[in-house]
Amino acid sequence: MIKMTKYSMYTKMIWNALLRRRSRMLIALLAVAIGATVVSGLVTIYYDVPRQMGREFRSYGANLLLTPAGDQQVMAQNLVANATALLPSDKLIGIAPYLYDRIKLNEQPFLVAGTHFQAVKKVSPYWQIRGEWPADQSEDIVIGAEVAERLEIEPGQQVTLAAAGSETEKKVKVAGILRTGGSEENFIFLDLSLLQQMLKKEGVISIAQVSITANEAELNTLTQQIGEQVPGVAPRLVKQVTQSEQTVLGKLQALVYLVTIVVLLLTLICVATTMMAVVTERRKEIGLKKALGAENRSIILEFLGEGLALGALGGLLGTILGFFFAQAVSVNVFGRMISFQPLIALLALVVSIAVTGLACLIPVKIATEVEPAIVLRGE
Amino acid sequence: MFWEMLKGALVRQSRKMFMVAITIALGVSLTTAMLNVMLDVGDKVNRELKAYGANITVIPRAASVLRDVYGIEASSGKTGQYLQEADVGKLKTIFWANNIVAFSPLLETKATVGSDDITVVGTWFNRQLELPTGEVVETGIKELKSWWTVEGNWINDTDIKGAMVGSTLARKLNLHIGDSVEIVLPGGTQGEALTVQGIFNSGGAEDDQIFVTLPFVQQGLNLPGKIGKIEVSAITTPENELARKAAHDPKSLSLKEWETWYCTAYVSSIAYQIEEAVGDSRAKPVRQVAESEGTILQKTQLLMLLITGLSLAGSALGISNLLMANIMERSREFGLLKALGATDRDVLLLTLTEIMTTGLVGGIAGYFLGLGFAQIIGHNVFGTAVAINAMVIPWVIISVILITLVGSLPAMRMLLSLRPAAVLHGR
Repeated sequence: MIKMTKYSMYTKMIWNALLRRRSRMLIALLAVAIGATVVSGLVTIYYDVPRQMGREFRSYGANLLLTPAGDQQVMAQNLVANATALLPSDKLIGIAPYLYDRIKLNEQPFLVAGTHFQAVKKVSPYWQIRGEWPADQSEDIVIGAEVAERLEIEPGQQVTLAAAGSETEKKVKVAGILRTGGSEENFIFLDLSLLQQMLKKEGVISIAQVSITANEAELNTLTQQIGEQVPGVAPRLVKQVTQSEQTVLGKLQALVYLVTIVVLLLTLICVATTMMAVVTERRKEIGLKKALGAENRSIILEFLGEGLALGALGGLLGTILGFFFAQAVSVNVFGRMISFQPLIALLALVVSIAVTGLACLIPVKIATEVEPAIVLRGE
Repeated sequence: MFWEMLKGALVRQSRKMFMVAITIALGVSLTTAMLNVMLDVGDKVNRELKAYGANITVIPRAASVLRDVYGIEASSGKTGQYLQEADVGKLKTIFWANNIVAFSPLLETKATVGSDDITVVGTWFNRQLELPTGEVVETGIKELKSWWTVEGNWINDTDIKGAMVGSTLARKLNLHIGDSVEIVLPGGTQGEALTVQGIFNSGGAEDDQIFVTLPFVQQGLNLPGKIGKIEVSAITTPENELARKAAHDPKSLSLKEWETWYCTAYVSSIAYQIEEAVGDSRAKPVRQVAESEGTILQKTQLLMLLITGLSLAGSALGISNLLMANIMERSREFGLLKALGATDRDVLLLTLTEIMTTGLVGGIAGYFLGLGFAQIIGHNVFGTAVAINAMVIPWVIISVILITLVGSLPAMRMLLSLRPAAVLHGR
């Protein structure tokens, strides 16, 4: 019974302290909430940046090539399907198959590549097409800028295609002209199945370009898996792309990491100083309580309770705000939503409670060590 | 009297004011560090992205169609199908010369080793190049192809008997470091024995090639002073509509647009200026690298901007919060002042000066602390110092004044409505 009243007295004192001193407590609460917002917001961003940035890096194009094993020039299309079944589908950006050969365009020999244009758009987003991309299932073609310049072809023009050694000719429309600054500018691109038909090479391709969000280690495991489980396919990493991505992404993550640490430290110190100021102000109250016979322990406990309550409330508020901030950043920068991370929310809550509690304890500890008479006399 | 009171308040309250000063210093250091890093992050990330290799290739105008499409090797000595090695230094004379970080001339040829046909590339490895301006720059493929992993050593440009062999080719020919390889260049009957100084892995087509010094190939082909192409790595501004329009045809721009385009470091305008500087050349931007750099750079900058915004808002609120707590705490003191006959103006002036003095001290300390933080970030992440931007200083001053003023506003309002009797009575 006595214990009960003691507890109810304790809660009452804390509640009163929080409510009576409304404006001051509001300040303290605001400070804690700001701190927690920064913690939860930044940690969420730190956690999310490599994943989101990794996707952006895929604009460099394929990072994995599936080539025919051994001395073969081509491989069966279904082998590629077997290989891609081993890749995690949620990380896969796209797979573009290519069949390379020579073809005659308006009676002149050129290099030709058959592919799926929809897949190319995903794998090689840097392709710059003047004119239009060919529509799905159409017989329209895309020609490289060098070819177009040489033959003075404009988008929309009709050209004649003929496979080497065959008499059948095909009239097709040039949908667009490709500019990449690379060797692609010397090629003619058309739909894979159309080229396979023309060359009578049904069901085979020369190479498949794969774009997948994975780091170098993951890619190495994937290539090993494919190499072992799909005979006839030799997977190769595009080293320039994978390694550079690793370096740049690593630096970016380190940057966000360091910034997060610095911001966190400073915010926590800010929160602590504010809490200290709020508590130091109440030295007189502590002196009075001591004079009335309160023990140091119970005074410390009371202030600790206040601090913890404040920390929990402010932390909760800040965690929610921080999540919304991180969400806003993700949507604005990367155009994608992020998922709620319970672990980060918990971390922000614990950190804010711990910091508030600690910041309360230091000034209270100092105040309780002073003689009540000196404190009450003022100064 | 005023100054004595001010001094008294500052000294008497030294501990509390110290706390305010520290908080302001921390807030300001955060502002300084974040702004400095933010302003410099574009440049830093851009340099990192250089690992993706050359973003402009310069080829001879006439050869661009012939060799690429038909694989025809031009007969030696014909002008127009090669660039002049002497012209390479001109790259560094264009308007955006400072944005060109690395470049290297290349001269490629087919050759035979034993019974195998291989590609031999003559190039600069790490060359000290004296520019027409008298400046000396260091460039070559060591800088350009930073992602290569090399077993053994990079060869020296003066070591004409040295060679670097691609990893795939080395495996095929069973070559090891220190081995000698005999290369027969087209037109020659006598093989030249070169020493394998290094074996590199590039993950690309170069793994099937042998890289040697440029003079070796030039002498072997009897093409003194000639090169096949130049690979250039330049720091560029992300592409936009104007740049795309210009890339298609610079002549389609209006005079004003043309000026803007020419004076911006777009990959297309740098390529255009290279064509102007290097005679009979064609500079092609490598889209894959140019476009991706733009996207990644933009995203990074936006990300840093938002993080900076959050930390600034956080530190501003933190400072104003502490000021409010500080003034509220001293309501009794102000009540006494008022009771002794001080006007509202006097009290406001006194507190404001107090806060501003503290803010000034804290702000100056914080600025230098922030520079330190920025350097720590720069050195740890990018391995180089973050450029100290003078533009940050006015921003910091404005934000300190604004934050301290706005932060003390609610407290000021409280001060004005303070009733001395009530406060002195103690609630």
